[in-house]
Amino acid sequence: MANKLAIFWALVVLAVGAHQVHFWRNAHLDTDVLALLPEDEQAPEVDAAMRKLADEAGRQLVLLVGAKDWPSAQRAADEATRVLEASADDLEPAVLGTAALEQAVDFYRPYRDRLLTPAQRQWLTRATPEELGGTALMKLYQPAGAQLTDWNADPLGMWPDWWQARAAETSARPRDGRLWLSGEGREWVLLTWKSKVSAFALGDGSRVTAAVEKARAQVEAAVPGGRLVAAGVPLYAEAAAAQASWEMSTIGFGSLAAVLLLVWLTFRSLRPILLVGVSLTLGCAVALTVTALVFDRVHLLTLVFGSSLVGVAEDYGFHYFAARQGKAPSERGPVMRSLLPGMVLALVTSVVAYLALGVAPFPGLRQMAVFSAAGLTAAFLTVVFWFPAMDTGALPITPFAQRFSASITRWPRIASTRGWWATAAILTVLVAVGIWKLEPRDDLRQLQGAPAPLIADQRELGRLLGLPSPAQFYLVEGDSDEQVLAREAALKRQLDTLIADKVFAGYRAVSDWLPSEAQQREDAALSARAEAQAVAAVSASTGEAPTRAAFAEEPLTPSRFLAGPAAAAIRQQWLGNLGKQQYSVLMLRGLNDPKVLPRLAEAARGLEGIRWVDKTAEISGLLSRYRLIMGWLIVAGYVAVLLTLVARFGREAWRAWIPSVLGTLLTLATFGWAGAPLQLFTVLGLVLLLGMGVDYGIFLLEHPGDGSAWLAVALAGVSTLLSFGLLGLSATPALRSFGLAMLLGEVTIWIITPCFRPPDGKATH
Amino acid sequence: MRPLLVLTFALLSVSAHAADLVKDVRARLLDAPLIRGQFEQKKTVAGFKKPLVSKGDFLLARDQGVLWNTRTPFASTLTVTRKSLSAEQGTGGAAYHLDSAKEPALAAVNELLFSLLAGDVAALQKRFTVEGELVGAAGWTLELTPTDAGLARVFKHIHLEGDGYVRQVRLDETRGDVSVIVFDQLARTPPPDATETERLGK
Repeated sequence: MANKLAIFWALVVLAVGAHQVHFWRNAHLDTDVLALLPEDEQAPEVDAAMRKLADEAGRQLVLLVGAKDWPSAQRAADEATRVLEASADDLEPAVLGTAALEQAVDFYRPYRDRLLTPAQRQWLTRATPEELGGTALMKLYQPAGAQLTDWNADPLGMWPDWWQARAAETSARPRDGRLWLSGEGREWVLLTWKSKVSAFALGDGSRVTAAVEKARAQVEAAVPGGRLVAAGVPLYAEAAAAQASWEMSTIGFGSLAAVLLLVWLTFRSLRPILLVGVSLTLGCAVALTVTALVFDRVHLLTLVFGSSLVGVAEDYGFHYFAARQGKAPSERGPVMRSLLPGMVLALVTSVVAYLALGVAPFPGLRQMAVFSAAGLTAAFLTVVFWFPAMDTGALPITPFAQRFSASITRWPRIASTRGWWATAAILTVLVAVGIWKLEPRDDLRQLQGAPAPLIADQRELGRLLGLPSPAQFYLVEGDSDEQVLAREAALKRQLDTLIADKVFAGYRAVSDWLPSEAQQREDAALSARAEAQAVAAVSASTGEAPTRAAFAEEPLTPSRFLAGPAAAAIRQQWLGNLGKQQYSVLMLRGLNDPKVLPRLAEAARGLEGIRWVDKTAEISGLLSRYRLIMGWLIVAGYVAVLLTLVARFGREAWRAWIPSVLGTLLTLATFGWAGAPLQLFTVLGLVLLLGMGVDYGIFLLEHPGDGSAWLAVALAGVSTLLSFGLLGLSATPALRSFGLAMLLGEVTIWIITPCFRPPDGKATH
Repeated sequence: MRPLLVLTFALLSVSAHAADLVKDVRARLLDAPLIRGQFEQKKTVAGFKKPLVSKGDFLLARDQGVLWNTRTPFASTLTVTRKSLSAEQGTGGAAYHLDSAKEPALAAVNELLFSLLAGDVAALQKRFTVEGELVGAAGWTLELTPTDAGLARVFKHIHLEGDGYVRQVRLDETRGDVSVIVFDQLARTPPPDATETERLGK
């Protein structure tokens, strides 16, 4: 039977191995923070909008090169460009140049008569024939009247104005053949590049980042006071990948090395090291395979989190070897059988706790939950099925193991004495005050571990350029293209008053580039009337008979617009069909003050088909909601665990239960005293604590007075502590908070669990 | 004037071979911080059989800007300063006003106008290939060809003639329009009066 199971497990392992080869060849690894976020089931179109905005920006790299005056800024830009051109394998310049502008002008030319700015519309409505005639004459007689089009195609010279309004969407202006802007004490040149590799493919190394850093160094070295500010998804993706792989190796290999060292100290034999190593490796491999099969793609953070699995998964191996130490090889089977009830119970509580992480609708958390549960189970099965078969030799008790096992007898044990009651009272006060001081914080930034300089650059760039915010926007919905464009126009009228009040700088809307058909008809009629008057006045004044040029008969339709060269700038905001409805996104620029957000939400109220989306607030709300839900889950979990323990240990069950409860409370209190915020991820750490902390109590109750159980618990505690302690080093705030909660809780539980061991000689069952 | 935004694609380009000519032309030009004069402009525009003729006067104050007053066939004023560009009809209503702090293209337009009227060859050299010759004892002609694509989209050539002053400017536009501006009664006084100062201060 045992052999059959061992063979069965070997087959599973072979299959997993084959899958691993396949997986690493194709590396379906995600680094995108968005992939960690929950999908909004109520509003799939909001998700679609978010993803489209993110995809579009996925390869873009925006750089501002600045210096104290314009000539030095231009020189600095040349230096930066020269360096970036050397990385032609990874980067290409994004053409923002004159050719693109010319193409767009040509594309719009037949529709010139129906493209008016709101100010022009107003002026044409109220201008007198004299004013129109005068303006036309003035433009006609001006020296060097360079036009975007012939005089008779734009007698009032309105066409350049319309283009200028489009150009106002960025604060960068053409100057000496470059894009220029001025701000924060410097003159800047705007450079745009594109990464040739997808931001989310896991490349070898941070090549885009390296190129940008080289350019930065060159600018700073070659131009006094020179500065380069860069932002773009490729930089974030590379930073995330670099960080994750560093953390994976630090946390993963760090804790593996520590665990193996402990095993060596304890057993002084190669066999336990090899076998525990095998159980860990298989645990991780199976975990990765199961995750890849369930989710198709695996997130890098899952791997980072998974590396800490090492610290938990080796517990089963420790228990086996600690119990088997000093016994005859023939006793292997019975030793394993005697351990099984406790190990199964421990496994079940841990797996249930891990899976509880998956209750929150965060795809990232679900991956971590599945990864950990699968990995833990695989490590357990490896121990049960393979260890007795492979561990054939003798395993004498080492002096280190002996000393450690004996230490349990010197561990304090609680009793109904005055000292213990006083300790309890002091602890109660400390815990109560600490928990009272706890402050929840649920903001999106926990999920991002981007390096601070990158974030600072992004902010500076946003300030200087007035880039549209990707996290707050209006979603416009309608039955048809026409209705969407008309509703956008209604929204813009509301927003124009807020812009006049300087609440924010401006917006980017599809309808600016593609007015609704009704608007086009109206504007065409308006400009035809006014320009006819203007042409007539010129005709009367010059004695000649110029005629106004003809324009396209058909309106500019969405399909024609989207196929044209002008759509590139705005295409990502046109979502088109999602289900039966049409959607577009209206983005906002210069949104620097979160205090104005309620006014923006208010502006959409009462407008049909307009929804204000504040993704940051939504995610914070979600984090907060799940923090509460998971909090209650912990309470319910402790009740459930208590019932399970009572079923097995009867009246002594509290001895295994209380340490975990105390560990949880002390951890919370420590966070409170330290001023560390309570986040969803802290709470998630506590959920796991519930699953794993109880293990120690279970083993000590299962094998009372057994030095080997204590040895195993001690080893398990130290190794878990190492792995989660290292997770506390993670640069991702969420992982760090999670790791710290685990670390504090584990240490506390580990220290106090022996205090609750039953009195010597007292039978527990 | 706003289409001259396109001017801004101009790049630095110094043509070395013209150095001697430029030096000679500069030697013949008067260094005048202020120039006043009359102008007559003949502009040939597609769709019009006869050239469009306009007359008026202008004021160039190096540190303040240019006032371009058209008197016939109708009254209007174009004001170009370091800060802004605006046009007014004779009736007084501003037809438009642009702020050059926001539009660097204006600064470029401004610079070009200044350079053309003042014959600032060194500045023109940044944006044009300069060719030409000295004429007689005091005269000269210059042929300017834009060196960058942006400016070339507006002008084919600019032709300048003069002596101590710029006497004639001919603008050959890429679209086919041609303007010939002839200057007359050029003087270095009087300084701007109150109305002019106010306009240039805008």
